[in-house]
Amino acid sequence: MILIFGCLPVLVLSLSLGRYTIGLTDVTRILLSSLGIKGFYAPPAPELHMIFWNIRVPRVIMAFAVGSGLSIAGTVFQAMFKNPLAAPDILGVTAGSCFGAALAIMFFASTPWAIQGNAFFWGVFAVSMAYLLALKSRDRSASVLVIAGIAVSSVFQAGLSILMYISNPYDQMTKIIFWIMGSFHTACWSKVEVTLPFVLLGSLLLTVFSWRLNVMTQDEEDALCLGMNVSRWRVFYVTTSTLMVASSVAAVGNVAWIGLIIPHIARYLVGSEHRRLVPVTGLVGGIFLLLMDTLARTLLPSEIPISIVTSIVGAPFLGYLVMGNQGVGIGIKSCN
Amino acid sequence: MESSLVIENLTAGYGKVPILKKINLSLQKGSICALMGENGSGKTTLIRCINATLKPLRGKVWVKKKALASLNRMEIARLISVVPQATHSAFSFTCMEMILMGAVARMKPWSAPGRKEVAKAMVALEEVGGKKLADRLFNRLSGGERQLVMIARALYQDTPIMLLDEPNTHLDYSNQHSVMELIRRLVKRRNVTALITLHDPNLALFYCDRVAMLKQGEILALGKTKDIMNDGMLRQVLGSNIQCGHTENGVLVVTPRHLGANRVAV
Repeated sequence: MILIFGCLPVLVLSLSLGRYTIGLTDVTRILLSSLGIKGFYAPPAPELHMIFWNIRVPRVIMAFAVGSGLSIAGTVFQAMFKNPLAAPDILGVTAGSCFGAALAIMFFASTPWAIQGNAFFWGVFAVSMAYLLALKSRDRSASVLVIAGIAVSSVFQAGLSILMYISNPYDQMTKIIFWIMGSFHTACWSKVEVTLPFVLLGSLLLTVFSWRLNVMTQDEEDALCLGMNVSRWRVFYVTTSTLMVASSVAAVGNVAWIGLIIPHIARYLVGSEHRRLVPVTGLVGGIFLLLMDTLARTLLPSEIPISIVTSIVGAPFLGYLVMGNQGVGIGIKSCN
Repeated sequence: MESSLVIENLTAGYGKVPILKKINLSLQKGSICALMGENGSGKTTLIRCINATLKPLRGKVWVKKKALASLNRMEIARLISVVPQATHSAFSFTCMEMILMGAVARMKPWSAPGRKEVAKAMVALEEVGGKKLADRLFNRLSGGERQLVMIARALYQDTPIMLLDEPNTHLDYSNQHSVMELIRRLVKRRNVTALITLHDPNLALFYCDRVAMLKQGEILALGKTKDIMNDGMLRQVLGSNIQCGHTENGVLVVTPRHLGANRVAV
């Protein structure tokens, strides 16, 4: 509850601030006039109205959705791999998406649709490769999947390096680099329409099936003996999270740290029980990324890539959490 | 006596080399059976065949007259619970949250345990004498307390058969005995079948109705504890340096035969 009310000021603030600051009174006016309430105030300027609805609002929705999606996916991956240091890109989704985006920028028309579609496809493709590779092994444990993910990731990273090496440094390379560092400045309604359904549906499914994540954190053999069909549930969790992450990364590029750090903050707030943890992670992640994006577009005269902001703020914060609590409260393995 | 678990001609191993060879074993309801043998004799392999995490090469396991191979994970988990060695959880759950995981086999995929289940889990926790542990963090407990919680989880899983894989490994002397005593009390009260792997022959002697002796993947002897525990059998299974004797109060105990030249004079 506190969290839900906590998002309101952040929401208003990020609606208001930006390259073109819209005053709080104007925000209220625009909202009221859009609701059809007229009369007791001066109508807002039409260009303000336009900026608000076509630039600010989709951007705010994207930041919140991407933050939620990446954070929930991070929580799910950490539970599944029984490792508090797992991030949602551990199976190669980010590496695949970056490769796909670079591919589109260089060889296809670099329209937003081509980039987004390619990034999404290659992200999902990379995770599927990792999964198929792991299936080849006789060992069915989660660690094999992680190793397969690392292998697939490095292949796609190498692919990305090759693409950047042969790219035109004055035009394509800058574009690729900026895409990889991530940004919300391209957010628009058409991107929201693609990303939001995946994130909403994914979050909903993962919240409904969240209790079983508790069991997934247990030793694999113990989970089996408790009656959990571990490998089948793993397919469900990996698929749902990957679709959320791929649709997010495809729209806004790489957003560093969110999927790793937000689950820790949420665990610090409400404990490890996933029925509480998953929805809280979604809220905290959304608020956090919204705040970071607001910083990214207001701190300097020109926009800062979002990953730089999240890393600078996120990394020391994680360090502080670990040092301050000896790791126990936030769920990093304690040595008795 | 009714047999609730029957193992028939079981051969199992990793890859093609069999570790267990033609095992035949049946366990009776309401009794607690010790599984003893040296390291590498196949105790854990046998436990893994019974809880169906390892597929046998040949032979069958019957649980309550149903073939284990024909059951799915949820059905198996309603028949067999496993108490692992005192473990450590990667994330900090409270003990209540740990115990509630025992409900997976009874829950619909989308549902989670509610208030009724919490009350039931509390009963299991009270049965092991750990009522005050409910809200404490599992990872902050001592080894003995953690073992109690794992036993409570198996109880809460509410199965006719319980497997315990060296539940005493990390426990101190008095905890080993209190855990064994607890297990015996629970088996008798709930009339379940328990199979427990042990290293200390004295624990088998004091707390188990029956003993199965495993050597190099074969069952050398199976029967009532007092019939099996003799010098000859113990030396065959656990090595030559072992003997049975009686204490001053007439309790049968197992001790080493030679203590070596450098032992402390008492």
